[in-house]
Amino acid sequence: MSSTAETFQTDGSINAGSSLSLWLRQIGAIMRLDLKKNFFGKRSLLIYLLAAMPIGLLILVEIVNPLGRTSNQLFSIYSIFYNSMILRTVVFFGCAWIFMNLFRGEIVDRSLHYYFLSAVRREVLVAGKYLSGLLTSIVLFTTVTVVCMLLVFFSHYYAESSRLFLDGPGMNQLFWYVTITMLACVGYGAFFLVVGLFFRNPIIPALVLYGWEWINFLLPPLLKKISVIHYLNSLVPVPVSEGPFAVVAEPTPAWISIPGLLIVTALVLFLAGTRIRRMEVRYGSD
Amino acid sequence: MAVLERSYKRYAGALSPEWSRFLIIPRHAFRDVFRSKLFTGLYALSFMAPLVFAILIYLRHNTEALAIMKLSVVNVLPIDATFFLTFVEIQGWVGFFLALLVGPQQVARDLTNNGLPLYLCRPFSRSEYVVGKMSIVILLLSSITWVPGLILFGLQSYLEGWSWFSQNIPIASAIFLGSLVWILLLALLTQTISAWVKWRLAASAGLIGLFFIPSVFAAILNQMLATRWGNLLSLGSLIRSVWAGLFGTFVQQAGQVQRMRGGVIVETAMVEPPLWASWLILFLICALCLWLLSRKVKAYEVVK
Repeated sequence: MSSTAETFQTDGSINAGSSLSLWLRQIGAIMRLDLKKNFFGKRSLLIYLLAAMPIGLLILVEIVNPLGRTSNQLFSIYSIFYNSMILRTVVFFGCAWIFMNLFRGEIVDRSLHYYFLSAVRREVLVAGKYLSGLLTSIVLFTTVTVVCMLLVFFSHYYAESSRLFLDGPGMNQLFWYVTITMLACVGYGAFFLVVGLFFRNPIIPALVLYGWEWINFLLPPLLKKISVIHYLNSLVPVPVSEGPFAVVAEPTPAWISIPGLLIVTALVLFLAGTRIRRMEVRYGSD
Repeated sequence: MAVLERSYKRYAGALSPEWSRFLIIPRHAFRDVFRSKLFTGLYALSFMAPLVFAILIYLRHNTEALAIMKLSVVNVLPIDATFFLTFVEIQGWVGFFLALLVGPQQVARDLTNNGLPLYLCRPFSRSEYVVGKMSIVILLLSSITWVPGLILFGLQSYLEGWSWFSQNIPIASAIFLGSLVWILLLALLTQTISAWVKWRLAASAGLIGLFFIPSVFAAILNQMLATRWGNLLSLGSLIRSVWAGLFGTFVQQAGQVQRMRGGVIVETAMVEPPLWASWLILFLICALCLWLLSRKVKAYEVVK
């Protein structure tokens, strides 16, 4: 008995236009695969719990202690709640979990080599995975942002709140809070994706970043600019007092902070792309 | 010798005494843990605070050094319960980060690689296994918390004299008990999360989440409901209350807030939850951890 093996040489001359469309299709395919894992995998349970926390807390507060407040008070209450609970806790830890799992999760499941063995450029893989994480985080956390704001305003004063949102500053503020959440997902997401790629134990850099973001109010103006939270806080429609020990710095205007954050994100993703080209899969340690 | 010629022979070497068998686990674990340069560096750094505190105690009793630095005794920190409470708090949180690095991988590694039967087929019980794994964290954290704490207390007693020692014995017991409660809590939490999550990264993330997220939750709950009962949800606040209680610095009434209710300004007293409530919650958390551990640490698992 004999066996024969036939090999075929594929056509290597693919023009630039078609390779771009191929990359886009590959990104789309990777995104679809990862979106399923991000939304319906067993690891997503933690994210849903995290996302439900601020909503549950607000419902509890509204049931237990519905207080009489003016619209200005409600705006400032929501601003404090958004800053401490949603932005610094839910979005930060949520992004850490979602984006670190994009590659670390594959390593733990011992499935990253399937991606590496397929005919996909590694940079395309990074882009596909990042976009899937971004879409997941944006969908979840902007929903939390919107639901929480509506809960604060509409739970008691329906008519007044409707006026605030339709004729007053409510809709504009909601737009900015949603934008900030999306930018936070973009910025933190890129950072945590790189951390998941570079570090075997990404918890330590994540903790360092958490600490850095928390002590941001104490930092001198120059150091404040080396953080994500400074640019996000600059966009908040109702600024929150940072306490008597805070070092006051001028907020960065939106036309600098938004493109700045996007450029830094692009650079970080470029770094991830170059890093993953030399990456070897080692499943042993996790 | 050919493999087929090998036959089973009972181990003829010396057996470890039964009471100390659990120490085999930390002995091997420490070898592994101190191979990491990051951990070794952090462990070495964790002795910085005891060193600084020892210098502060020494300075207070060295008139020559005070004269050189042009300081009077009044300007140097008083060495009292608050001084030692601060020490326990600092070392406690340093210990948290050490436990975060060491703890989550311990049980998880054995469970993921089906290594548990290899332990339990030997004359080694489940409880010895759990105690052995916990003792990794307990021994490590003891060496940076209550051991240096008691050395500092001894140094202060030596420099200040017998009367100070006899008057402040409760401080020594507070250092020991306060540290021990914290270490036990950390050891139980790390091992439980490690056993249930089975993935080091997720276990570490879980431990961080368990400490930081409920703290923010509690702070907002306290703020919005004008209360302090939310502190019962935060592990950090719970242990702070317990420490303050042990050192005798616990104050139940934390202040007053003015709130607008129905157009009228109402003053609300902010009352911390009683100490027994903090102890009870900590006890319940530990009991829950033990129950969860006993469910997970088994020689074999039936997979349906």
